[in-house]
Amino acid sequence: MSNSIKRESPLQYFHGWFNKSSAPESLFNDQIDCDLVIKEAPLSAHLNLRGDAEDSEFCAAVTAVLDVPVPKVPGTYHRNGNTSIYWLGPSEWLILEVGGDGAVIEATLRASLKGHISVVDVSGGQTCINLRGAGAATVLKKSSVYDFEGWNDAQSAYGRVVQTTFAKASAAVSNRPDGSYDLVIRRSFADYLAQWLLDAGGEFGCRIESS
Amino acid sequence: MSRNRLKTHTGAAIDFTFNGRAYQGIAGDTLASALLANGVDVVGRSFKYARPRGIFGHGAEEPNGIIQLGSGAGTIPNLKATQVELYQGLEASSVNGWPSVNFDVMGIIGAFGRLMPPGFYYKTFMYPKKLWMTYEHFIRKAAGLGATPVEADPDRYDKLHQHCDVLVVGAGPTGLVAAREAARTGARVIIADEQSEFGGSLLASKQTIDGLQAPAWVAGLVAELRAYSNVQLLPRSTVFGYYDHNFLTILERCTDHLGLTSEYAVRQRMHRVRATQVVLATGAFERPLVFAHNDIPGVMLASAVSTYVNRYGVAPGNKLVLFTTNDNAYQSALDWHHSGREVVAVIDSRSNPSGAIVAVVKALGIEVIDGHGLIEAQGNKRVKRALIAPINQAGTEVTGAVRPLNCDLIACSGGWSPAVHLSSHTGAKPIWDESIVGFRPGDSKQQERSAGACRGTFDLSGCLAEGARAGADAAKLSGQGEGNIQFSACTVEEYQEQPQQALFLVPHSKSTSRAPSQFVDFQLDVSASAIELAVREGFESVEHVKRYTALGFGTDQGKLGNINGMAILANALDQSIAETGTTIFRPSYTPTTFGAIAGRDVNDLFDPERYTAMHRWHVEKGAEFENVGQWKRPWYFPLKGEALQDAVNREGLAVRKSVGILDATTLGKIDIQGPDAAEFITRIYTNSYLKLAPGKCRYGVMLKEDGMIFDDGVCACLGDNHYLMFTTTGGAAGVLAWLELWQQTEWPELQVYFTSVTDHWTTATVTGPNARKVIAKVCSDIDLSNDAFGFMDWRDGTVAGVKARIFRISFTGELSYEVNVPAHYGRHIWEALIAAGEEFNITPYGTETMHVLRAEKGFIIVGQDTDGSMTPADMNMDWVVGKNKTFSFIGERSLQRSDSLRENRKQLVGLKTLQGKDVLPEGAQVVFDAKQSIPMSMQGHVTSSYYSANLGHSIALAVVKGGHSRLGQIVHCPLADGRTIAAEIVSSVFYDPKGERQHV
Amino acid sequence: MLLIHCPHCQEHRDEEEFSYGGEAHIVRPLEPEALNDQEWGDYLFFRTNSRGIHHEMWYHAIGCRRYFNATRNTVTYEILETYKTGTQPRVTGDSL
Repeated sequence: MSNSIKRESPLQYFHGWFNKSSAPESLFNDQIDCDLVIKEAPLSAHLNLRGDAEDSEFCAAVTAVLDVPVPKVPGTYHRNGNTSIYWLGPSEWLILEVGGDGAVIEATLRASLKGHISVVDVSGGQTCINLRGAGAATVLKKSSVYDFEGWNDAQSAYGRVVQTTFAKASAAVSNRPDGSYDLVIRRSFADYLAQWLLDAGGEFGCRIESS
Repeated sequence: MSRNRLKTHTGAAIDFTFNGRAYQGIAGDTLASALLANGVDVVGRSFKYARPRGIFGHGAEEPNGIIQLGSGAGTIPNLKATQVELYQGLEASSVNGWPSVNFDVMGIIGAFGRLMPPGFYYKTFMYPKKLWMTYEHFIRKAAGLGATPVEADPDRYDKLHQHCDVLVVGAGPTGLVAAREAARTGARVIIADEQSEFGGSLLASKQTIDGLQAPAWVAGLVAELRAYSNVQLLPRSTVFGYYDHNFLTILERCTDHLGLTSEYAVRQRMHRVRATQVVLATGAFERPLVFAHNDIPGVMLASAVSTYVNRYGVAPGNKLVLFTTNDNAYQSALDWHHSGREVVAVIDSRSNPSGAIVAVVKALGIEVIDGHGLIEAQGNKRVKRALIAPINQAGTEVTGAVRPLNCDLIACSGGWSPAVHLSSHTGAKPIWDESIVGFRPGDSKQQERSAGACRGTFDLSGCLAEGARAGADAAKLSGQGEGNIQFSACTVEEYQEQPQQALFLVPHSKSTSRAPSQFVDFQLDVSASAIELAVREGFESVEHVKRYTALGFGTDQGKLGNINGMAILANALDQSIAETGTTIFRPSYTPTTFGAIAGRDVNDLFDPERYTAMHRWHVEKGAEFENVGQWKRPWYFPLKGEALQDAVNREGLAVRKSVGILDATTLGKIDIQGPDAAEFITRIYTNSYLKLAPGKCRYGVMLKEDGMIFDDGVCACLGDNHYLMFTTTGGAAGVLAWLELWQQTEWPELQVYFTSVTDHWTTATVTGPNARKVIAKVCSDIDLSNDAFGFMDWRDGTVAGVKARIFRISFTGELSYEVNVPAHYGRHIWEALIAAGEEFNITPYGTETMHVLRAEKGFIIVGQDTDGSMTPADMNMDWVVGKNKTFSFIGERSLQRSDSLRENRKQLVGLKTLQGKDVLPEGAQVVFDAKQSIPMSMQGHVTSSYYSANLGHSIALAVVKGGHSRLGQIVHCPLADGRTIAAEIVSSVFYDPKGERQHV
Repeated sequence: MLLIHCPHCQEHRDEEEFSYGGEAHIVRPLEPEALNDQEWGDYLFFRTNSRGIHHEMWYHAIGCRRYFNATRNTVTYEILETYKTGTQPRVTGDSL
């Protein structure tokens, strides 16, 4: 039965799309040079975690399960292997495990955490996309009011995350050591954002792929 | 070679047309310089009197050369010829001058110019009101405000959100050195200038700086700036607005200089800049002198003459008379002389001017006539002569004989007015300064400082020093550098200047009211006598006079005319200019295209369209869609040849007779966890959740604190301290913010967390008498019997191989199962349910059928049947209000307000039209007496109305005053088309009034 | 376009991430039923509408989803401070 179960990621239908506004005939031509590559990490585990950041038992229990420290500094995230924890608010985090199973992680965390906490599997509702290439920083500037360049000046240039506006939707944007950016976006806005990125990235040559 | 092009100036030829005639310019030209090079004197007609007008300035201040660029989809009206860079094939035409600039119908009116005094609109065109549209059409056509394109704009526009430490506005000498000082500290710097090249006034200057010709010095400095990675240089970029908290907007014209449309590249880009500190180095505008017929083509600003000669190699005439009140403008006489053409004379309003440059001019043999005014220009479509006369020292009277000087070009200069516009956008009120005869920027209201000519410093060495200071200060305040100036002062050759004379209205031998028109605002034809007339008619406030005379109302926003106008007004009011004040400048500094403001937010990207996981299935099946908030929801699924009503009739019957399926994904869903979750929810909803057991659901209504219904939906208990709240589709974000508001700000002691799971779950509603049979085919691990899994229960199980959560809640009144799965499986589960239902003819239905079915049951839709002024009692839903709750839930107290208890409130009822085929329009007003004369007493209105195929007649929900006690009465709905439809007030539940069908 | 310092994110962020929440420091009566209509109406409908210093709530809707308070000058739009819900402002009409 499970073989016939169809799973669709939010950007499923956009994998393989191209746009280069200087050469319109190349919309579906994978030979063009792209300075903006958008790569979805589809069907990963996304969980929303709530709890008291000052509660060391809570933080220790989370780390024991995920092997990632809970970020307490606003606007930062920690990553270990495929698993990341992003700061979303003073008592709120996003857990993202590439290729993980949200339901399993939820059950494990629930078994380990005590007191007033909340764990919610939101894997179906969002997806993570990576923006890399020479055009990535400019496309962020086109899309969001947040000052991403400001991250370069900061002492900890990497490991930053921000929830902000993105075009007329929103995204949680984080930076990676290789200079690329990860965006966590909502499923229902995925079509709109894919079209936005193809359009805004068109001047650089832009393609969407899946990992 | 065009006749006015200087032989020393060459470049690649560029062909263009103006008003249909072909011309040739050269690379580097603006449209204005190319027209002048070709000897085109008349470039437009004036707004009111249709007088011929020629190029007057050389930049943003140009009042006359207002043109329409191109034609078709990409055409742009109201550009200034002085700011349009020439490109091969450019087509332009005058916006003013219908039907042509050389013969103008309005010119006949021009001959009777006195018929159009100030306040002309108000006096002439106010009555009768219904003719206003006719008048306006005529005025616009005659006045020529340009034509908007009628086709969709094919171009791409873009926006960039920028952040910088220091934004430098203007790349003249002041701005350039300011940027260099800031750049050296490592600050993030943006420097923007509206011209194609950086350098500002230095581009047309013959001065030397550090031994270099000014343009060469500029080139060196620009190269230095380019080498900094922390500096962004934005040429062709106008900073057009300065808003709160140092937010500024810049319009960058990326490809306009290459042609009208740019198929693949971005044509214009809006930079939305948040700057920590701003340096305004916007320069100054030369002030024209107001003398009789100062608008004849061939009268120009002195600085414009110099710019055309020095920068563009264009001499716009042969015989120059220069009229000045200051030393500075003598440079134009020198430039003209060095171009090899004749300077007839320099007319200086001052007696015995003694500045160094005066001596230089005299030494060249140029006649300087001091203590004189140029009181009138003569000529028709081109200056032929100037009339000059001796004037008194105060500049108020002609004191001697008038004599003519033959010439074809008059350059004039009344000094310089700082460009205080952007500073004024911040709310700073410009301050009059007698020493510079102009307004300086007022006290700063933002993190900005003005430097150089825009704050009244007009000498080059002064500008360079101020720019450096401003750049270093701005950087330091933004957190970069120590505020030290690293730049060593430049050696600049310039003449020491003697004081200028303040002369705002040149006296004529006749009084102002009798003298030929002395124009103050060229674009809107406001003359000195018009301002004086306005004062005689009782206007005193500068803002009122502006609106009455239209002074400063043109697309140039009075950049040239304002100061003279204020001064003439002050004089007429017999008060000082400082007392009179100036009008406030507001964005935009120069006109901005809508394309740039819209950016990419057009067409498919205008507003996000939110899709469910089944969206593509709906598209493939030919669904018509409806917008619900930003969601696209299937409206109905027409079969071949079906219209909306056909499809809805079929879909609705299918649900009641067999089974239907609805994509209900868009409902808002909020996960609620915490020890105080039940208590919190009970405070928010009108009913209680304290005893709701896991596995159970309850319908609830939320009120705002004023007691009015705000949202509704089902809430399920998922486990201990764990709930799932459904909200309306449109209310999801608002409800979440509402929950957070109360938890965070009022009851932080309640331990509860909220998480939106709207996007996580996909919901397929299977409803109808055969629903259980359909679910049974794909779900084997839940006991689906009514005893084991009853109405308002939920169960976890496996549906088509996927872990699912099924709710037995019903919005149709039929047996219903709402199947929820994580959205990745949305399409899978949908297709599995469709396949399982095939034998029962499972029918996908859309929002229209959903509405009909729920209206048959009298179920309300918040926002459709309610409007923010309805209590639960008004909706006949008292049953949902808990009467024994210990905590006063949100809105409870307001239900006891006298107004909430008032008799005769509008109450929800059903309406059944007497003729069953008549479907009332939603929004129709309800009256009790159809024969009452207008205005009739409105007794309510129709909120929902449909044709019900199941019932065979129309049904409507309405709110009617005192409706609950009016069952059985006949009411009337007078319609816009003249018909009146009678209907009986009935129960709002039309179908299955005992509610048995959902319980089976 | 305001630039607002979020006390939770500890950064200045653009106005478009926030939504306005109305006047701050209005306490809900503990016993609404004990109030007469006029007293309840005062709580429900009447606000100070200050010219000058104003304490108001903002919601970092597209951000950390926290409410906080700001002291804003309603004449100049200058934001003099932001502070967490449950704490008191440092800048008040009296302190200026």
